[in-house]
Amino acid sequence: MTLPPMDQPLDLQAAFRERGYVAGPALATALRLVVALGKPLLLEGPAGVGKTEAAKTLAAALGTRLIRLQCYEGLDAQSALYEWNYARQLLHLRAAEAGGRSVTDADLYGPEFLMTRPLLEAIRQPAPPVLLIDEVDRADDAFEAFLLELLAEWQVTVPELGTLTATARPHVLLTSNRARELSDALRRRCLYLWVDYPTRAQELEIVRARLPNIHETLAAQVTRAVHALRELPLGKPPGVAETLDWAAALVALHRDHLDAEALDLTLGAVLKLREDQLLARPALGKLAAP
Amino acid sequence: MTPTADLRDRVVALVAHLRVAHGFRVGPGEATAALEALGTVNLGQRREVRDALRAILTASREEGRLFDLTFDAFFRLREGPPPPQLPPLLPETKAPLSPPPPSRPLAKGPGEERPVPGGPHAEDPEEGPNSSSSHPNPDRETEGEPDTPARILTARLSPHAGAGGRVDALEGDLPDLLRAAGALVQAVELGRGRRLVPQPRGARLDARRTLRAAAGTAGDPARLRWLGRPRRAPRFLLVLDGSRSMGKSATLLLRFAQALHLRSRRVEVYAFSTGLTRLTPLLRRAPPGGPLTLPDLGEAWGGGTRIGENLLRLTRGERARVSRDTAVLILSDGLDTGEPETLTRALRDLRARAGLIVWLSPLAALPGYQPVQRAVQAALPHLDAFLPAGGLEDLRALGGRLRR
Repeated sequence: MTLPPMDQPLDLQAAFRERGYVAGPALATALRLVVALGKPLLLEGPAGVGKTEAAKTLAAALGTRLIRLQCYEGLDAQSALYEWNYARQLLHLRAAEAGGRSVTDADLYGPEFLMTRPLLEAIRQPAPPVLLIDEVDRADDAFEAFLLELLAEWQVTVPELGTLTATARPHVLLTSNRARELSDALRRRCLYLWVDYPTRAQELEIVRARLPNIHETLAAQVTRAVHALRELPLGKPPGVAETLDWAAALVALHRDHLDAEALDLTLGAVLKLREDQLLARPALGKLAAP
Repeated sequence: MTPTADLRDRVVALVAHLRVAHGFRVGPGEATAALEALGTVNLGQRREVRDALRAILTASREEGRLFDLTFDAFFRLREGPPPPQLPPLLPETKAPLSPPPPSRPLAKGPGEERPVPGGPHAEDPEEGPNSSSSHPNPDRETEGEPDTPARILTARLSPHAGAGGRVDALEGDLPDLLRAAGALVQAVELGRGRRLVPQPRGARLDARRTLRAAAGTAGDPARLRWLGRPRRAPRFLLVLDGSRSMGKSATLLLRFAQALHLRSRRVEVYAFSTGLTRLTPLLRRAPPGGPLTLPDLGEAWGGGTRIGENLLRLTRGERARVSRDTAVLILSDGLDTGEPETLTRALRDLRARAGLIVWLSPLAALPGYQPVQRAVQAALPHLDAFLPAGGLEDLRALGGRLRR
């Protein structure tokens, strides 16, 4: 599939902006390649910079379904692909036995007993969905190895049903917060983009786009304060999500500027560790200054 | 827009150059994808071409920085400044394609000097623990600003600068150290993982396998199958005090770190003195059989001791990676010039996340030793074990001591 150049109809940057997501050119280009080349994209970066949101917005921009697989420690292929409805299968066996009927494997492992999970769901869609494999670094090595086969071949094997090949290749986005070093093999199969905190001007634009009713002074102050907080040696520096939460909290409290009192009341929206709050407090007066 | 033959040649040359000069793992597959990508972007927009090629040809944030500088060297405007010479990510490799020269020969310039590892703007070949602010954002216009000699000089003349110098650790005792490291890997028990796998006895009924077995007995689950949680495979985070006071113990423990790295790929090694540096990429490249030689580690070796500050810096950098699978080994004599409160804060944070924290001290091996140092006093409440590491014997006994 060859797409027209950026100035042609599929302008993801504009499509994202319409949906309140200010995507930088590098992200827009990488997402464009996901669609054009059919390769998965690995998005790495600090928490809260909009990696997951990028997948959601891509699905909305392409007018397709978003299928999300949230990874966690202990996730296995079985839980990500499919499960059999064991209780229903047992009832079926019992009923067949009571009725004197014989049961074959084909009866027992029919589609009516199959419960699809996100990955199988994604490859069975008639139109390419956006498949978000979120926080892949939380899953363990074995699951990552399983993903390699799926991402390379776009097919999975269900022992009872055989090999199922994707009807339409999904647009795949993987996200990672670097909780674990991902294998070179997985990286090689993916396009790669490091998503960093936005610049102050970009973040101000994001705040304006997501909270159109915010007072201009407040938006500028919040953005400046967040950038100052990120300069401090915090345990959990605020992401863009926290900036938006904080700004939304201040708007909800009908504030049009950031003063010491407002900052004190809403600090929990932006700093989520007590140690970080203690560390930031001496600088609060400076941050709240006009 | 269709790429011209010249552009295609340049892109292929760029791929070969990244592989040969910087050790990028890119080959014909990536070159093909890069050429394919050229057909989907606006070739009149240099930045768009760079973003597309970066997404295809890099696999980590660190590679992204090298890529930007190399791309600029290949496609830069005539009036642009000469590109800096960059240190390779990996040793030079043989390649099927020889890299054609860039558009202009690389001239030696002031920006070419290799940055000092361990300095505030050190260029870790793979990554640095606190590199979040020192690397460019791909979304920002980055035209390549290498560390300038002035910056490097500032780092070296800092009042906290370490003695630095090359680090040589002789070979000879590697087999013993490997045995000690193997015993340690075996001994560390961090409980059970969360993944369920088939086991003869376990916590949960394996409905799938039980049902398959039941199909042969007309639905009667005569033999139950079980799922259990396997032992957690430990991940090691070694923090080695390379300050002057550690003396010869530092090189012994460095070789031990290398041995542990050879025994398990799940090992991260950092060294600190007044500054902190990540040694993992250097150990990864070191030939396993020979003597261990490391380049100048700057502030991370041979200077004073700032345990708390560096541990806190490490905790922040590695925070996301420290989990209940992680065994943290701090190798230090505890003779610190920093504030114990900072150390307490770092250890409290590590304690909340790691599966095990062990402090190994060369001083603790001395007869009559009392843990009276301020740093050790501050650390003890947060440790699972405080053990001696005076020599090979102590390291050999480490596995057994931890098992008890």
